[in-house]
Amino acid sequence: MTTASQSAVAPAKAEATRATIDPIFRQIRDLVYKTSGIYQQEEKLYLLVDSSGRRIKKLSLRSTREYWELLSAQGTREHEMRQLLNEVTIGETCLFRSLPQLDALRKVILPEIVQEKTKQITKQLRIWSAGCSTGEESYTLAMNMMEESERLLKGWTIEVLATDLNDRSVETAKAGIYGDYALRYTTDYYKAKYFTSLDEKKMQVRPEVKNLITFSRLNLQEDSKMLFMKGMDLIFCCNVLIYFDAPSKSRVINHFFSNLNFGGYFFLGTSESLIKLNDKFHLVHFPGAIGYWKLSLKSGKL
Amino acid sequence: MTSTLETKIAERVSRIEATPAIPAVFLPLLEMLNAPPDQVKLDKVVQLVSYDNTIAAQCLRVASSPLFGMTKSPESIKGAVISLGLRRVETILLTCCLSQAFPARNWIIDPAVFWRHSLGCAMVCRKFAEKLKGADGDEAYMAGLLHDIGFLVNCLSFPEEFSKAMELAHQSGIPFDEAEREAMGFTHEDTGAALARQWNLGGRLVDVIAHHHAPERSKSAPPLVALVHLCDLLCRARGLGYGYYENRRVDLANNPAWEILLQEHRELEGVDLVRFTFELDEAVGEIGELVATIFGASAAAKA
Repeated sequence: MTTASQSAVAPAKAEATRATIDPIFRQIRDLVYKTSGIYQQEEKLYLLVDSSGRRIKKLSLRSTREYWELLSAQGTREHEMRQLLNEVTIGETCLFRSLPQLDALRKVILPEIVQEKTKQITKQLRIWSAGCSTGEESYTLAMNMMEESERLLKGWTIEVLATDLNDRSVETAKAGIYGDYALRYTTDYYKAKYFTSLDEKKMQVRPEVKNLITFSRLNLQEDSKMLFMKGMDLIFCCNVLIYFDAPSKSRVINHFFSNLNFGGYFFLGTSESLIKLNDKFHLVHFPGAIGYWKLSLKSGKL
Repeated sequence: MTSTLETKIAERVSRIEATPAIPAVFLPLLEMLNAPPDQVKLDKVVQLVSYDNTIAAQCLRVASSPLFGMTKSPESIKGAVISLGLRRVETILLTCCLSQAFPARNWIIDPAVFWRHSLGCAMVCRKFAEKLKGADGDEAYMAGLLHDIGFLVNCLSFPEEFSKAMELAHQSGIPFDEAEREAMGFTHEDTGAALARQWNLGGRLVDVIAHHHAPERSKSAPPLVALVHLCDLLCRARGLGYGYYENRRVDLANNPAWEILLQEHRELEGVDLVRFTFELDEAVGEIGELVATIFGASAAAKA
């Protein structure tokens, strides 16, 4: 576990890009933020330059200006924005993707939830990884909770629900087999404790971790199914809503809100924002992480 | 705070004046900062900047940082003063002077950590003020830069008590002012305010230093104190804190300070806090560099 200060960026790179980047990429950055809520920071603007570059090449465009027109013109913008977002979020999924989020979870939120539920007879923690893709986030959460089951969560039942729209992703997730790249932030401690080596390059998650997780296919836009996902303490939904238009996004978030217990939290991806789509959640800051809080009943005001 | 405690703090703080480390530029500068902007003369500022070689060189380096909006380095001090504007130069000068007034000796807090927090808060205060109609960005910068000046007083005048507070904060992850109150019986707000009064800082700045953890107590500048309070919290949540993990959730929009600021600036409702946070993150690297520029490579290495 590390602290938020690790998220500080390498200044040298920022210096190099600031002067050389075509200002049009800041326009693209703002458009991406407005439509998806994904914010590409100045230091990572070169990633947006690369992503756009790949699209420009694929589409055989002559200039960035032409690409900008494609992105902003009616008729082409929706399709192209989707393609660009696919490029932008490529390689985002890996285990232990956001340490500040995990720190917030273990150091601030869990003690709070344990306190909150102190009088309940069944001690149960329910976490939902919504849009779990190939399972990286779900396993990360499960392993971290297992660590706490020796301490804070002693005697608790831990349940992680992991859902995705894509059947193939769900199958891959169930297998729990990952290579070096997905495991690049996973420490040796976790590898030794929760994985078995399949060959030199691949590792598989151990059955005891898998046992905590239920993987299934779910469409977040299917209202009738969403109604059944009640009683969550935490919901993680990383880089999924970015593809939704504002009304659908707002509907899904409303579902998340009612699916959460009072005092529960909702987390997005680290560079993702709700852009004020919901005023029921409280936007809260933890060191290095932003979350959305469903006010606790005990805090007195609703 | 009891009156005996107040006397004790004032007595210890009065000894700080004798510290030879305060550069000759510092006190005249503070005087100038208190004067209305239209009474500040260009030549006087250039003279102050040029007075001390080290400070002049530091100023030129800082002035060329992208954080101050310069695209190329100014070549002369007068050039820097003209292109940056008087208020901007005053803030840069103040930043440089502070580093000399409190050289990194016998510090209980890591100087790099302290300066990153103070400078970071100064920058964030200015950025935030720019989003609010009629707010003075340079005043906000100074307020942010000086708000924790009591930390330095504590290092100099109450080293033992302050060490204990520091230890408690690191161990328990509670907010620093709470740790001070528990370990010392007073906080950096109290000691900072005593120094600010001794330096004859303006009432608004004294209020910021004295009440930035409880802006509702401010009498002369509630919106400014509230602004610093919120920016301070935000900095501590984004890697520009006191160098330890604060175990808590911060809800800025439901903080009393938000309400105080909102009364004065309705446009606060339209501020996208998440995007503002992401923009703050962008400046973290540059603030680290700026700390290195002003305070030397050793501070940067620690940061």
